[in-house]
Amino acid sequence: MNVWLDAILILILILGLFIVTSTRLGTMIQIFSMQSVFLGCVPFFLYAKDMEAYIIIVALAAIVLRGFVMPNFLFWAIRHVSVRSEVSPFIGIGTTLLLSGFSIAGSFLLASKLIFPVSISSGLVIPSSFSLIIMGFLLLVGRTKAISQVIGYLVLENGIFLFAILLLKKMPLLVEMGILLDLFIAAVVMGIVVNHISDEFNNTDTIVLTTLKD
Amino acid sequence: MNVSLLLHLTILFVFPPLLLGFIGKTKAFFAGRIGPPLLQPYFDFFKLMRKASVYSVTTNWIFRAAPMVSTAAILAAGFMTPIAAFKPPVQFWGDIILFVYLFALARFVIILAALDTGSSFEGMGASREATFGCLSEITMFLNLTILALLSGSLSLSEIFLGGLSSSWLLVGPVLILVVVSFFLVLLVENSRIPIDDPDTHLELTMIHEVMVLDHSGADLGFILYGKAVKLFLFGSILVSIIFTFKTQDLLTDTALFIFEIIGLAIFIGVIESTMARLRLNKVPYLLFSAFIFSVIGFTVILVRGHS
Repeated sequence: MNVWLDAILILILILGLFIVTSTRLGTMIQIFSMQSVFLGCVPFFLYAKDMEAYIIIVALAAIVLRGFVMPNFLFWAIRHVSVRSEVSPFIGIGTTLLLSGFSIAGSFLLASKLIFPVSISSGLVIPSSFSLIIMGFLLLVGRTKAISQVIGYLVLENGIFLFAILLLKKMPLLVEMGILLDLFIAAVVMGIVVNHISDEFNNTDTIVLTTLKD
Repeated sequence: MNVSLLLHLTILFVFPPLLLGFIGKTKAFFAGRIGPPLLQPYFDFFKLMRKASVYSVTTNWIFRAAPMVSTAAILAAGFMTPIAAFKPPVQFWGDIILFVYLFALARFVIILAALDTGSSFEGMGASREATFGCLSEITMFLNLTILALLSGSLSLSEIFLGGLSSSWLLVGPVLILVVVSFFLVLLVENSRIPIDDPDTHLELTMIHEVMVLDHSGADLGFILYGKAVKLFLFGSILVSIIFTFKTQDLLTDTALFIFEIIGLAIFIGVIESTMARLRLNKVPYLLFSAFIFSVIGFTVILVRGHS
């Protein structure tokens, strides 16, 4: 019964819901940063009994990279392309909220059916990671602005990271760092893409990418 | 037993309007005014009681019965609510369902009365109230279900006077979700500020206030009184979820409870002073999030087991 870990995981889920429902890009980035900091704290609670140096390094790297470097980069991006808010998402805010609520319930049901080889001290880790992945996916498919899609991708990556934390003992450190690097490159690439879209088309709506220009 | 019953009834009947007084004082403090006296809701009530009612010729008995029925239903719900450490006068297995539906009955008759006036303006308010009502009701049911699962009982008095304190240690995060969700339901059900402003008469965003425009005199007094009691009942349930500490001494517990619920009233006042009212089409999102908070709590309870 790890109440603090449960509290942090539920907080992460609620912050995820906030990201999914807000339309202002600045708010989304700030909340994403908060969520990532909390996510970086999860290993300290999960491995409180047998803490090792590389776990601390991975957690701190996650906090710094996801919580501070990435949001700063995203803020730079929205300053650069001067987009402030998501005007007309494909999937409305209310629908997204309900869908993510059901996805959370669904992930809890799914996680209760799974048999996991490693023993976990909290039953909430796997469902939270599934729900984060689905929420990130909802952002990816439901929004039109490239930057909110990047944030969706990052939320999805947060979910994957949460799952990977469980395997921290079995997985080599290299793979963990690989995930962080992967994420960083993804954000850089998306940033470049965003800037190029805005240079070419004067806005960052990804809808315009589907129509051919002749 | 008789002292406790007497205290329960006295607090239930006399205390609720004072909460509105405290909310008003808090708002006045934030606005830099002195504000109406704490007892202003009582003065208003007695003033309205002395006045005669005016009935439109298009209305029939429904319009006249609605204020009494709704106030009576809310007071009947009050008989089942555990206030402070008192055993409520009425309690039986499954009274949480009756509790929720008494509030639904109160809302239903007011909606009927609003439709009965024949004014399209009041009909609009009735439609809004019905929409938000059905969203908040399901959330409230889900919250009570979580509490019932945690305490293993379907009776309000056993839920709140029993073992929620041990649940705080085991599943504290879930109870925080329940508290947040229930607080949002409280704001919606009592039409407080982020949802509806009880003080203005601006047509575009009124929900509850618009339905009672045609009531006057003693009828209006009853409706206002019923609203105050409803706020008090929701508040006392919220307070019993949050503060599980009991001293077993009747008077100390009562004093503690009074302080807690006044604290809640001041907190509502602070929220009303610092927040702007939501746009009407944003209100369902607030209710959706309250619903989803309780869904998360419910699934966590189901997964973790509730023993």
